Amino acid sequence: MKNKRFAIVLDTERCIDCKACTVACKAENDVPLGPNNYRNWVVASKLRGKYPNLGQSYTPSQCQHCSNAPCEHVCPTRATFTSSDGIVDVKEEKCIGCKYCQTACPYNARYYNEETGAIDKCTFCAQRIYAVPPRLPACVDTCPTKVRAFGDLNDPNSEVSLLLARNPSKVLKPAMGTNPHLFYLD
Amino acid sequence: MANPKKQKMSRRKFLGISSCALTTAVVGSQVKVLKALAKSGDISEPVAAITKDVYTSCGMCVNKCGVIARVRDGVIHKLDPNPNFFPKSRGMLCARGNAGTKVVYDPDRLKYPLIRVGERGEGKWRRASWEEALDMVTNNMNQIAEKYNRASMMFASTEGTFSEHFFLQLAECYGTPNTLRHPTLCLSSNIQGFSATFGTNPTPDVKNADYIIMSGANRAEALMTPDSIDMIKTDGGGRRKLVYLDPRFTKTAAKADEWYPIKPGTDMAFILALINVIITEGLYDDDFIEENTVGFEQLAQHIKQYSPGWAATECDIPAKDIRRIAHEFANAAPSAVYYQGRRSSFFQNDTQMRRAMAILNAIVGAWDTKGGLLPNKKIALTKHDYLAPWYDDVPDRLDKGGVTYLSEKDGSWPVFRDRALAADPYPIKGMMVYKQNVLVSVPDRAKSLELMKQMDFICTIDITMSDTAWYSDVVLPEATYLERLDPPENLSGPVPVVAFRQPCVEAMFESKTNFWIMQQLAKRLGPEIAETFDFTMEEHIHHMLKKKPEIYDALFGKGVYYEDTEPEYGRLKGKRLRTRSGKIELYSEKYAKKGLDPLPVYKSPDKVPTNMYRLLVGRHAYFTHGTTANNALLHDLMPENTLWLAPSEARKLRLKNGQMVKVKSKVGEEKLKLEITEKIRPDSVYMAHGFGVLSKGLSNIAGVGGSDAALIESKYCPISGNCAMHETFVQITPA
Repeated sequence: MKNKRFAIVLDTERCIDCKACTVACKAENDVPLGPNNYRNWVVASKLRGKYPNLGQSYTPSQCQHCSNAPCEHVCPTRATFTSSDGIVDVKEEKCIGCKYCQTACPYNARYYNEETGAIDKCTFCAQRIYAVPPRLPACVDTCPTKVRAFGDLNDPNSEVSLLLARNPSKVLKPAMGTNPHLFYLD
Repeated sequence: MANPKKQKMSRRKFLGISSCALTTAVVGSQVKVLKALAKSGDISEPVAAITKDVYTSCGMCVNKCGVIARVRDGVIHKLDPNPNFFPKSRGMLCARGNAGTKVVYDPDRLKYPLIRVGERGEGKWRRASWEEALDMVTNNMNQIAEKYNRASMMFASTEGTFSEHFFLQLAECYGTPNTLRHPTLCLSSNIQGFSATFGTNPTPDVKNADYIIMSGANRAEALMTPDSIDMIKTDGGGRRKLVYLDPRFTKTAAKADEWYPIKPGTDMAFILALINVIITEGLYDDDFIEENTVGFEQLAQHIKQYSPGWAATECDIPAKDIRRIAHEFANAAPSAVYYQGRRSSFFQNDTQMRRAMAILNAIVGAWDTKGGLLPNKKIALTKHDYLAPWYDDVPDRLDKGGVTYLSEKDGSWPVFRDRALAADPYPIKGMMVYKQNVLVSVPDRAKSLELMKQMDFICTIDITMSDTAWYSDVVLPEATYLERLDPPENLSGPVPVVAFRQPCVEAMFESKTNFWIMQQLAKRLGPEIAETFDFTMEEHIHHMLKKKPEIYDALFGKGVYYEDTEPEYGRLKGKRLRTRSGKIELYSEKYAKKGLDPLPVYKSPDKVPTNMYRLLVGRHAYFTHGTTANNALLHDLMPENTLWLAPSEARKLRLKNGQMVKVKSKVGEEKLKLEITEKIRPDSVYMAHGFGVLSKGLSNIAGVGGSDAALIESKYCPISGNCAMHETFVQITPA
């Protein structure tokens, strides 16, 4: 879609690691069963401190929809591509399952779908966001505590633009120069 | 070179990135399951059918959240949160709610009536027609009535189905008083303690409370809508502080501002010390107490003995923190709540512990006001009245008089079971079960097995082969919550709603709604009973909504009906409460008359014996009690349970992380994997619920993990009859 740049902004303070996003995504996108198959996930940090002074954080994540996507660069068949709206996607019929992209992705955001015989990953639920009427990506919609906000960065009034304007944020592994579009509020 | 598309080993697996156990199941979409079932002849070939969105209510746990089912070509493809304003679940659906599709398209589903052919628990069944199975059930019910008494049939059922009342109706019409519902495995002590104080069991205004103290109510994992959502700090208001007490570092502990690993069983000491500080330092709400309560003088006298210094040694929480928390709590009041928890019963003093909570909330005026405890409202629906046949010779409930306050419909599981085993005062010989998983939910599994052994006949209605179904004689397959038209249910709360269920797809296999099953049984039990079920579900719904037909349109139009969007504060101001005095009873005259402590008296919990640990139970966000561990999508999140043990203790016992251990209590022994973690007090161990099943009909979890029900001793609160889940000590040895 022209003139759009989709992104997700996360407020991890709100995450309770309930994994509603992971299950919603698996159901929505027909991700095959099995603990190793997923398009999104929640990382529980290592336990901080010593008993009884402990702390732990939970960080949900998924494909970062980088504008400089290493997965796209290494794909020998150009199965991986970036749409004009910023969504990084895989053309199933072009994918030969070589898994270069899986190794190249610094975020470990891709898995091999044995049912389709192709690499699979988050597409911001393109089938939902372009539906009429549009629906939010499954992970955003279902979240009990609304950790994620989804929207168009090219729209200065979108929720994601406002969140990023009003709050300091960061991206994961900035040193990789991937220019991710998942933003984590500080 | 092999076609890369046919490679079986995934890169992730190959690289060994995940240490999780791998499952072999590769059934992906619902369509695949349907195709597999069609191939095996279980269902006819799926045909392209309707694509539609259907409003309904979730049935994965008891919260009844709003759902919209996305049906694609006749198959439920996805369950989304109801996109309309829904006061209770606030536009969310948890992991379990999202896994609902795998309840319908579950290869382990009960598909047709089964009749046992081998020994009980042997797992040998034959497929039967509904006709035959139903005849067998009522023949046995009639035989038991003739040979013993109608009261010798017990009916056990669970909450959240929207259909339980039909099951209870059948029990009543058949003529037995012995129905066993869930509250004594759940919140009966809580209801009792708060009702004795306020005349009702109120709901905390979590959304607006500035200060919340939670005792073991692990709301980040034991999800309760809307509390779990509202507990999280938001920019637009919400709480300023959450203080959390739990012997485990749960996800709620991770979200709390302060976490105290309290010594199990001492919560009451902590609460009494807070009351002590608030009264001795004059931090209470004088006007509120004067106007709304009785017994403050007695309370002030009684509380003197419970100083923070004393409590500190009981609970392992420093006295200065107790004092500070008391000050902070009183300062924030009335926008402050000591959250009463809900689905939890820990110790034999549970009712009095909940009483202490209620009293603390009352003396700071956190009642019927923004951010405090709110009396619930309910949207009135027309009741379905029926005339149950009268039987002259039916005795009282078997467990009558066993505890001070026994609910007539609920009973008390531990008391009932003990009396049934002793045939005291009469024998229990038949068991009808509706979706309650007795062998997983009631403590001391060996005793429950003993109970089942003495039955002449057991029939279970369920959707999967639960442990309880596994030990039954007849198993009847119910349609799942996504395949049923269920009567509307009024969910009470500060903002009450009416929810309902409608079929998203047709019931698969030969499964039938509970209502249909009840009608069929009623028909076989005779015309008098059949008459009480002589209506269609549509007629029943119209009857319930006849005073407010607009509810009907709201339910089918947007999936929910409500009248308010915000709580109404001060609703009961100046009104008489449903207590003896009509006021909030700090001192309970009612309890005094029954010979109970009119004010909560503290007693230390039993000391943990040397070389033993206290067994703790608790919820997490992935499973509902003993019913969802086998769900394929949820099983991916948690394929087995582990025993949590502190590192210092593991060193002492020379145990390694991940090794199998034996856990032994007075009543049972289980084997499961050890998880060494700092997240637990060194004197306690914990295991998640729902594993260690006996049934081989649950293919994902058969033979995996350990069962807490097999280990927990059946102690109970003598006031409410609620099971005390945390009074069991265990030994840990290498397996």
